[in-house]
Amino acid sequence: MSNVLVELSNAMAGAAEKAGASTVLVNARRRMPASGIAFAADLVLTANHVIEQEEGITVILSDGAEVPAKLAGRDPGSDLAVLRLEKALAKPAETSSEAKIGALVLALGRPSREGIEVSLGVISAVGGPVRTAHGSIDRFIRTDTTPFPGFSGGPLVDAEGRVIGLNTSGFGRGVGLTLPADYAWKVADQLTKHGSVQRGYLGIRSQGVELSAAVQKLLKREQAAGLLVVSVEEKSPAEVGGMIVGDILAGIDGQSVEDHDGLFARLSGDAVGKSLPVEILRGGQPQTLKIKIGARA
Amino acid sequence: MNLSGLLNSALDELLGRIRPVLAVVMDKRRGAGAGILMGNGLVLTNAHVAGRGRSLQVVLANDETYPAKLVASDKNVDLALLEIPANGHVAAVFSEETPRPGEMVFAFGHPWGQRNVLTGGVLSAVTSLRGRQGEIPVLRADVQLAPGNSGGPLLNAAGEVIGLNAMIFGGDQSVAIPAGVIREFMETALKSVPVRAAEGVL
Repeated sequence: MSNVLVELSNAMAGAAEKAGASTVLVNARRRMPASGIAFAADLVLTANHVIEQEEGITVILSDGAEVPAKLAGRDPGSDLAVLRLEKALAKPAETSSEAKIGALVLALGRPSREGIEVSLGVISAVGGPVRTAHGSIDRFIRTDTTPFPGFSGGPLVDAEGRVIGLNTSGFGRGVGLTLPADYAWKVADQLTKHGSVQRGYLGIRSQGVELSAAVQKLLKREQAAGLLVVSVEEKSPAEVGGMIVGDILAGIDGQSVEDHDGLFARLSGDAVGKSLPVEILRGGQPQTLKIKIGARA
Repeated sequence: MNLSGLLNSALDELLGRIRPVLAVVMDKRRGAGAGILMGNGLVLTNAHVAGRGRSLQVVLANDETYPAKLVASDKNVDLALLEIPANGHVAAVFSEETPRPGEMVFAFGHPWGQRNVLTGGVLSAVTSLRGRQGEIPVLRADVQLAPGNSGGPLLNAAGEVIGLNAMIFGGDQSVAIPAGVIREFMETALKSVPVRAAEGVL
């Protein structure tokens, strides 16, 4: 018997099977195991909060093989961690950055040796950026899938079996969130290279101030606010670059900075180590300083 | 017809196939569960629904009510077979295929006594549970169930029975006894009704 319902069902099972091949079990805590997603033959992305030990971590692949793994990096801010497998036997997941509200999705996990587990739902919301207990995340996806025990670190999968995000319940209050694949993969890349997520560092304290129409005219753009520098740390990148108390920070690298969220966005990991033009207002006059962005410890 | 129309008519067809084989199983003291017709007057349900088999009644889809006799019961796999003095009713069709996690599934039963309620979801896991006498294979699904779904079928998208709903965990996970376990149970059970076994049920 075949009809559209049977075809849809087969497609969903096919999607689960395809993504399931890259969904692994992560054994790094005493309680129940959690899940992870292979993003290279020897690299697994998982949720940071399920890594409760750094020794004796193992990963179980879709074919049942148990492979020892080492922690390559972790970032509590985004609740992501990368494990490096001793043997490059994993099958990397195919990803997609498309996340539309209402789309059919499957949440996958591999909480036991018995195989994958699946929950069906739709994308309920796409939001962000949002501050978390230890940092911030750029973007998140909400779904009405059921996060079964051991699902943290597992993938959110579209109807074609592509990974569109990583599910975690690590942000507290029992709320499940999905970190979008493009964001999570970017963090994974940094964790693989540096062992942690680098965040840019200027070394100033600042507060938001309104910019007058006259000042906006001098800036040659509409910008309602900037950041008034109220202290500059000694020997910080800002001090070395010539910034002083009383300056108003208006832009970095050609992009305007109106508030603290905007400043954080400009000071992403990509900015670390680069000398960037920093636009300030000093005595009401626009000036540009060259500041070499440091790395936050 | 557009895709949603086609999906709805496929669901109609599925309901049309399963509705005639779904029964209500009740006894005088306890609430009702569900059961499915196996042909030759046999009705499959859960052992915990059938209990000790005293004063059981089976109500068919057309509201015909029959007294039922307990033929066999296995608490380890939570299955029971009843017999009613009626014949010629259609029998449930069981799936021959291996269930796949992620496939669409539907539960049909009488949650909270509301008759013939269909709920949908996906098959979450093909796994096992520790039973009274060792591990038993089970299917887990994310369909919504409530008391009264016990003994009702878990169906695949083609409307074939892939399991019998047996337990409910927290409203968002169901546990069903898979078709393979039902087949084994039926083989053993039918040895206690030799005449019917000769007729080749299942």
